[in-house]
Amino acid sequence: MSAPAEIVLSADSAGQLFNCAVFDPNSGAEFLTYRGGNTSSRSLTVLNGEYILGAQLCKNFINVWDIQRKDQLQQKIVCPGIVTCLCASPNGLYVLAGIAEAIYLWEVSTGNLLAILSRHYQDLSCIHFTDDSSHFVSGGKDNLALIWNLSSVVQLDSSRTPEPRHILSRHSLPITDIHCGLMGPQARVATASLDQTVKVWEISSGEMLLSVLFDVGIMSVTFDPCEYFLFCGGSDGNISQVSLCSTSLSRDKTFQSDSDGNQVFKGHGNLVTCLSVSMDGTLLLSGSNDETVRMWDIQSKQCIWSINHKGPVTNATIIPAPANMFLSDSRPSVPLPRFSRHLNPSEQADGTGTGGMCLRLGANTQEPEGTYLEKADELYSLMCAVTDKSMFGDGENTKVRVSELEEEMRTLKKINKDLYEFSSQLLTKPN
Amino acid sequence: MTKKSKRQGDFQKNKLKVGQTKPKADNATNVNFRSKTIHLPEQLKHGSSGPTTHRNLNIKDLLSQLHHFNSNVKQGALVGLRELLSAHPTLVEQYASAVLSEVAALFTDKDGSVRAAAVRLLRFIAQCISAERIAPFFPLLSAHLTCAMTHISEPIQEDALRVLDVLLEHYPGLLSQRHTVLLANFLELISQRRKAGTGVDKSGKGGYSLTISTNRSVTAQQWRLTVLLRLGNFLQAVVEERPLEEDVISRIGLGMWAGEKGSVTPVDVSWEEHVFGKGRIQVFENSGAVPTPRSTYRLRPDSKPGAGMNKELCSAETVQGFAGTLVPLLLEIWVEAAAGDRVQMDSGHLLSAESMALMFQILTILQLLRRLTPQRDQQDILDAWFRNSYLTDFKQHFMKNFPYGLLEVARHKKKADGKRIRLQVASETVAGGNVEPMAVNVSLCQVMVTLSLRGQDHVALEDADWLGPIRVFIRETLSSGGKLSSRHLAALLEVVWRMIVTQRSRVVTDDLLQAVFVQYQQRNLSVSVRTLLLRFFSQLYIQEHQNHPHIARSRILARWLASLPVQLVQLGSRNPQLSAQLLETVQPAAARGNKDLLQSLQKNACGLYDSQDGCVVVLPVESQKRLVQILHFLPAFPAELLACLSQVCNTGRVSASLATTLIRTIHLRSPLSGWSSSSQDVPVKDVDYLSFFFTTLTGFSSEMLQALQDTDEDGLLPSSTLSPLSVFATTLEQFLHHWDVVEVVCHCLDTLGSRAQCFDVIQSAISKNLCGLAVVPDCVCAAILRCVPRLLDVNFLPSDKLLHFLSDCCLSMLNLLLQLEQSARKRDAVWEACFAALSAVPRLLRLVLQSFRVRDLCEEELPLLAQILSLLLQHTQLRNHMIANANQLQLIIQDLTHFYGGETREQWLTDLLYCYSVTMSGQRANMAMRDMY
Repeated sequence: MSAPAEIVLSADSAGQLFNCAVFDPNSGAEFLTYRGGNTSSRSLTVLNGEYILGAQLCKNFINVWDIQRKDQLQQKIVCPGIVTCLCASPNGLYVLAGIAEAIYLWEVSTGNLLAILSRHYQDLSCIHFTDDSSHFVSGGKDNLALIWNLSSVVQLDSSRTPEPRHILSRHSLPITDIHCGLMGPQARVATASLDQTVKVWEISSGEMLLSVLFDVGIMSVTFDPCEYFLFCGGSDGNISQVSLCSTSLSRDKTFQSDSDGNQVFKGHGNLVTCLSVSMDGTLLLSGSNDETVRMWDIQSKQCIWSINHKGPVTNATIIPAPANMFLSDSRPSVPLPRFSRHLNPSEQADGTGTGGMCLRLGANTQEPEGTYLEKADELYSLMCAVTDKSMFGDGENTKVRVSELEEEMRTLKKINKDLYEFSSQLLTKPN
Repeated sequence: MTKKSKRQGDFQKNKLKVGQTKPKADNATNVNFRSKTIHLPEQLKHGSSGPTTHRNLNIKDLLSQLHHFNSNVKQGALVGLRELLSAHPTLVEQYASAVLSEVAALFTDKDGSVRAAAVRLLRFIAQCISAERIAPFFPLLSAHLTCAMTHISEPIQEDALRVLDVLLEHYPGLLSQRHTVLLANFLELISQRRKAGTGVDKSGKGGYSLTISTNRSVTAQQWRLTVLLRLGNFLQAVVEERPLEEDVISRIGLGMWAGEKGSVTPVDVSWEEHVFGKGRIQVFENSGAVPTPRSTYRLRPDSKPGAGMNKELCSAETVQGFAGTLVPLLLEIWVEAAAGDRVQMDSGHLLSAESMALMFQILTILQLLRRLTPQRDQQDILDAWFRNSYLTDFKQHFMKNFPYGLLEVARHKKKADGKRIRLQVASETVAGGNVEPMAVNVSLCQVMVTLSLRGQDHVALEDADWLGPIRVFIRETLSSGGKLSSRHLAALLEVVWRMIVTQRSRVVTDDLLQAVFVQYQQRNLSVSVRTLLLRFFSQLYIQEHQNHPHIARSRILARWLASLPVQLVQLGSRNPQLSAQLLETVQPAAARGNKDLLQSLQKNACGLYDSQDGCVVVLPVESQKRLVQILHFLPAFPAELLACLSQVCNTGRVSASLATTLIRTIHLRSPLSGWSSSSQDVPVKDVDYLSFFFTTLTGFSSEMLQALQDTDEDGLLPSSTLSPLSVFATTLEQFLHHWDVVEVVCHCLDTLGSRAQCFDVIQSAISKNLCGLAVVPDCVCAAILRCVPRLLDVNFLPSDKLLHFLSDCCLSMLNLLLQLEQSARKRDAVWEACFAALSAVPRLLRLVLQSFRVRDLCEEELPLLAQILSLLLQHTQLRNHMIANANQLQLIIQDLTHFYGGETREQWLTDLLYCYSVTMSGQRANMAMRDMY
């Protein structure tokens, strides 16, 4: 079986059969399951293609699985409170968790807690990174969505509290879902809210571009990759499709009745809690509180397959298949460190003695490097030296020099080969 | 002979005699007429070279006369030009360049009347030509203006200010671009450059000193006042013409508490419009590949320089440079004026009207200077610079006698002196009216408060000596109970805001907020003042709350928030705008989980959501919506509140869509809906939740149903054998509203976790509350019939009592269906409900058929029964169920034909028999098919 390009990852709140499972997007066949506990909504995330992180429902820890060792929990990350939403940055360097009304930011390489951002007034409902990991958007039950710049959050010294880049405050009821488009800081963000609207914003300016008013509260929202369509899952189980670019084609379509059934995916019987579109924009995945996950064909708006879960679906998403998900003998390249629970990294380091070092970009911590001009001078002098030698040194001298260098290279190669053989022996030995 | 006599006849001679009057000659001229002159102006105007004035001068003549050596001729020409141009507006455009250049040249004419006429003509032209069209000639105009302003003759300088007035009024944008030259000119008008040689130039005092000239018609002080007034206007124009950054706008003056506005107008569509193709969305056009100008990312420098505005005056350095010369002059002017006043009386607190006006202008200019820099950081630099350079001066000269008052007595004295009065009148006309002492004091506060630095403790202590009086003044002004105009109040509130933010002390905050709160609590405030205060508090809460813990902890703010729900209840429907304002604050505060507000809301919830006179029913739709949304944040829903809400849903005073939103909100808040993950607190108890939904489903409270049993209104359809229940027909509107509500209720109940239990609850509720009623409203019947089959689980057997009640309902409804002609929608709804119930519960159909007792029917009811039967038979989806009851059906039809004693076969009987045979034959065919295989 060749590994598929994309997979469906879903979880429900009952967790009887499995915590979360991986399915084939085309057939709905089950590939893998991960056991242990159950996952709360909007808190299942894949870290760096190597780990699956899921926050335990109503408990204060995060379950972690190696992506290929499905049956065992790799570890539990204990958090200061109940995790309501969780997100790993696409570049795999940071993990964000919403705990009560605060956002916790961890660095994956060291496990240090870099920042606690408490600008929300009530519990967070969702959190999302942009595709280039430069910004993230958080939405809460206090009607606010905040856009944060990751670097400004990380770099600031502890004396100043980090400020969000923009505050999106036009919703009048709690925010239920957020989706970030592509294109990094120039992306658009869609926010869904119980106030029956979906709003589209620009990350760069924080301006609202579009507001669509529905007749039911909206529980989930997503774009297709081209941002041609906006999909909004309502609390009555319907999924509405809003076309974002009205083309002149509508003139040719006048005889086709643009009726209600044309733009609505009907089938769910309860809140649609999660939506996701495949990479090529033809498939739409939806998970609902009626305990089913359905896959839809966007063009014809028909349900292709549906999977019954044992409880309300909390997470369902289409993601590119991680490389070593189906290779059972592979190992994560980096072991996951213990995540610290306190903001001050020094205490933590004393206790565990991990020996990890925290590297932060910042003017004060950077090594004073030589300027480019100095470097260029150095390089120039070096080049001059070489040319001087070859130009003005006599021919014999250079020959001797060349043979010396060749000799040295041979010895180096030999050493390298020995080293390789030794290490391969060591590795292939049964342990 | 005859010839001769004829000839004599030709030449007869009248003999004249003495004493007789002389007969008139035949050719005598009649002089009995009068002559009058005739004016033909039209004829004259259209000479060969265009239109002319009444003096027969065309425009070229007039323009050439402007160069005449005689000033009378020049003045006449100017008057003529005005006449000509006002009669022929087309000429203005045509000759704009010539006229403007000639008129501008006369700004510096040595004769006063000519200059006055020129100004009048300029004013007329300015009214006719728009700013874009005058732009090419503006360098010329401003050059002449500069020339006149710097003229050696003082009357010309004075008239130059009039020209400036005209230009400021009509072309502020163009004039403000010339600020480099004009600002220098202003300085020249009231001062002169110190000669470099005179040595003892006190450092920091700038290179200018005030001039005093004795030969002006007004005193030096009045002259300075007029110049400063113009300078203030000019700076105002410069500031206003500049595109400001958003956050700076929001801090200034009245606009401070205005609503937010973005540069991108968002597309706003509703789903229905979008679906039906009305609201086409084009997001990419709204913000396409190029990021909006308001983007905080500067990817590349703007290709378009911002309309060529004055780049130079934006930076703090240039403003500092100008202020460095101007501020010492202003201080000097003030010192002189104050000294003049001090001569007349001992106290420095009281000022004459003239000094008051002067002070006001000085303060206005100081404020404008600060606002010249558009960027926020630049403003901070400027503030710091002002503080370093002039704080001591300001303290000494302005703050020493701080709360200033008007010197009333002095004015009475002046009245005795005729000359003085004349002068004062002159100065008042110049200064543009009297200046209240309140305005002076308030703007002094504004100026001084900007000098205070942000939150460093030692600085705060340092500033205490001058911030103290300001605080006292503000507190006294606000809490004295006097009425303030909205302008003063806005300025005062700005000062309060700034002091609160900069001082960071809880004592100061509470002190000032208390004063504002006293003002807020006054009774008869005008609406504008009330909204201003309201916005102040709400913005203070919304914007600064998070950053400043001392504001967050303020007791006054908490008390204010807690008072909001009470105010809403008290306001009722009296002032919808004000209520909307209040709600705008209540909603975010509730969303942020403010404890004081939520407690107060909880306490007043029943008042707010009362179905008779609560805010939720009396306010306009927008506010209703907000109130319903606020429900989402209520910490708990006690039973009585849910009772109120249920009535609100059903009385029809809120729209059906809003009622559905309300029901969904309560559904979401209940733990039964399975949405909220945190299960610690239970806002809606399960018992209350179910009773709320049942009450909403029926739409009538038990008292109302009880009352219905005893009434006999006209809407009542009596009970009969065919309709066992007596049906109370509700109005169409009420029925449809209730129908919509029922739809949502069914949907919500449908999604509950365990259906069997839910159905059990509903069943017992129905049998307890509804079974046994004799009179039932039609909407209740329809709702029950609709709800039961949707909630019914396959494995659950409904009780007999419920089934009997349902069959009664069903029969009555079918009977009602036949009598309904008025509305297709109601018919559809009723039929849908009956059909759903009959097809979902087969036992119900059997019960209904069993209750058709043909024997007991009278003659007239037979056709009705037949119609009902044929309706049921015609429906294809019911057909199978009907066939299952074929025996019963056969009995009924036999009875029917038996008891119908008529001779002729009626149409209804034919129809029924036909339907019956079709159904049965279909069944037999099926049977036959089954037999074959």
